Amino acid sequence: MDILPNLLMPLTHLDLLALIAAGTFAGIYVGAIPGLSVTMAVSILISFTFSWDVYPALALMIGIYMGGVYGGSRTAILLNIPGAPSAIATALDGFPLAQKGRAGEAIGIVTVVSFIGGFIGIFALAGLAPVLSDFALRFQPRDFMLLAIMGILLVGSLSGGSLTKGVFAGALGIGIGAVGMDPLTVQDRFVFGLDELRGGISFVAVMIGMFGVSEALMQLHNVHTPAVRQKIDGIVPSWAKVRKHLPLGLQSSAIGTVVGALPGTGGDIASLMAYDQAKRVTRNPETPFGEGAVEGLVAPEAANNAAVGGAFIPMMTLGIPGDAVTAIMIGALFIHGLNPGPMLMIEQPNMFWFIVGSLALANCFMLLFGLTGIRLFVKVVELPRTILLPVILVLSIVGAYAINNSLTDVYWMLGFGVLGYFMRLYGYPLAPVILGVILSRLLDDNWRRAIISTREDFGAMLMGIFTSPLSLTLLLAVVMILVTNSPWWARWRGR
Amino acid sequence: MRTFLGGVIAALTMAATPVLADYPEREIQGIIQWGAGGSTDVVSRAVTPHAEEVLGQRVIMQNVTGGVGAIGLNQAERAAADGYTLLFGAENPLLYKVMGLGQKDYSDFIPINVLARGVPIIVTRPDAPFDTFPELIAYIEENPGELRFGSTGPGGLPSVVTAMINEKTPIDVTAVPYDGDGPALTALQGGAVDVMPAVLGAAIEAIRAGNLKPIAIFDEERVPQLPDTPAITETNPEFADLLPWGPFFGIFVKQGTPDDVVAKLTEAFQAGAQNPDFLALMDGRGFRMLSLSGAEAQDFLDTWQRQTAWILHDAEIAKNSPEEFGIERP
Repeated sequence: MDILPNLLMPLTHLDLLALIAAGTFAGIYVGAIPGLSVTMAVSILISFTFSWDVYPALALMIGIYMGGVYGGSRTAILLNIPGAPSAIATALDGFPLAQKGRAGEAIGIVTVVSFIGGFIGIFALAGLAPVLSDFALRFQPRDFMLLAIMGILLVGSLSGGSLTKGVFAGALGIGIGAVGMDPLTVQDRFVFGLDELRGGISFVAVMIGMFGVSEALMQLHNVHTPAVRQKIDGIVPSWAKVRKHLPLGLQSSAIGTVVGALPGTGGDIASLMAYDQAKRVTRNPETPFGEGAVEGLVAPEAANNAAVGGAFIPMMTLGIPGDAVTAIMIGALFIHGLNPGPMLMIEQPNMFWFIVGSLALANCFMLLFGLTGIRLFVKVVELPRTILLPVILVLSIVGAYAINNSLTDVYWMLGFGVLGYFMRLYGYPLAPVILGVILSRLLDDNWRRAIISTREDFGAMLMGIFTSPLSLTLLLAVVMILVTNSPWWARWRGR
Repeated sequence: MRTFLGGVIAALTMAATPVLADYPEREIQGIIQWGAGGSTDVVSRAVTPHAEEVLGQRVIMQNVTGGVGAIGLNQAERAAADGYTLLFGAENPLLYKVMGLGQKDYSDFIPINVLARGVPIIVTRPDAPFDTFPELIAYIEENPGELRFGSTGPGGLPSVVTAMINEKTPIDVTAVPYDGDGPALTALQGGAVDVMPAVLGAAIEAIRAGNLKPIAIFDEERVPQLPDTPAITETNPEFADLLPWGPFFGIFVKQGTPDDVVAKLTEAFQAGAQNPDFLALMDGRGFRMLSLSGAEAQDFLDTWQRQTAWILHDAEIAKNSPEEFGIERP
């Protein structure tokens, strides 16, 4: 098998090299603009590259994917508006840093850890793909349910000041996620006979509203305060700094790879889990979490880029998508006359190594473009708010419309923008809302699947959890998280 | 291939009346009922470029998803009946009325081309203690309630096939619903469900790799992709009156679209459906080409709707009786 020529194919063919570079560059900007998502860009590319050869088409898509996942962090740090759901956790500590004039530094370290995370995911894809996809297949509905419960517990670390308000926000998110036709029973839920609600409320619209519009409204309060001057030195992080955060980066990358490889969960959940993990393992952050802790940037960004390689694992080994983007790429492979599935790796290993090579190259371009454009980019925050805020609003509206080409989404987005504004005003955290929306279906569907599988016998389901090593481990993790966060534990530790 | 298409184009131009030359004057909008990367999306995007060559205009494809495809269908129905909005859909709308999902279905549209039909297949894991359909039924009878069937929710292909089996031999199994046949087949490989009636194209690659075991082709004849898997009528001829049955893909325009426009579109997609690249793609995915238009397509849709709606009604899956909508019992 000729691994090397295929691995290096993107590097030796100038056209492929250029396409990956262009894709990564475009991806960074697509990812950075809230509402323009990688999923959207890749599905447009399916039509656009229809008549192309399969390799250049894949090269472009892979570039956009890699760049886009990283790009989401840009606006999260600079404007407190995550460009994509997987950058929500990044805003929590990134924006406070930007307000201290350290946006350049924040973007610098994010770029480097994204690069590291990206490579961990790629290594896992190249070396462990069959093992990891086997592991991912073993997840039963009850395991996904436990995973979702673990996710729900993240509300605790995303709440900031008041847990009560955090729980309220999380519950609101779960409620929003429940709207729409339930695919398991074809029953309408909270639809009120409106066709537009059958498809549910687009959670990207919720996110753009809650983070984009409400942030713009919030900043109207001090529209004439001069913007913080940004330091533009120390953008490229020192080796000492990278080394200090490397263990956390690797740990987060591992979380990202595994969560990315699970079908049905992707970078959004991975980055939130990594953020929570970082909060738990970081003993003495230089700055507390939520006020600009570098650890709070390292963890989610390493995780979401690692999830890219992770998502390719089930796609390449089984023809099962690891997330929404890989689902579209599988469609693209079909259109180009390939049959993605378990046989693809056996019959066309060159395709596999080409994808690994392209991902690696896109990751390098991401580092290059990420570190070179920062000086210009941070200037965005120094723009007068009277210019910046209207631009944010316009982008939010365009982005919301672009999700499904539907005006309904724009109305939802504006509505949630106003709601988010009042929530901010009264000190309610917004990240738990998005967490709730993301996890709502995962929890609901898998709980019901688990209980339906045992013919609605709750005891049998519990038995299933206790007899499966995987489920038991997940259950213990849930219990551990609960116990270690309880006041009794804190008192016991303090003694 | 170029010359072949050129010939088709020339033939079409000669056959065209002078009025036809006017349509299409501008870009056409194509609404795909399902999401990017899914079967409907892949098939629609694969056939359209070949039809564009005949039409001489671009068809801008757009996925309008949600509500089991009802949102896209309604959007196409709200557009003007001028042939500038095409609907790329699957079989689901024919069940909207009986499943209580909407008041509109393909009776509000004119079929341009019913492209192809999917073949259902019953699959299981390689270690399952049964190899044939009769063995599967015997196993269920010995172990009632034990087997879990993968499903995609009421009205989906697995629910219809399971209802068909139930009509012939009542079986005691648990249906576990998933978001689509992809996730359900994943669950089958992971052991979360035991048996899955699926569309051939979704399962074929896992079968070829030995990750799944085919039990029977749920059709009247075997398929060339799996020559060793028996058709169900070979072991259980009682299914013959229900078959052939399967999901399908088609292209539609709103009822009331001028005849010359319908004719032009029909010709364009007939040509597109004959393109060798497209045929190869459909073959690889295990679809049976139909390329029906006009009265033939209408007949196909009516028969499909009558048959499926009544099966779902008899299985008590349907919410409304087909009678309410004038759908006669076949």
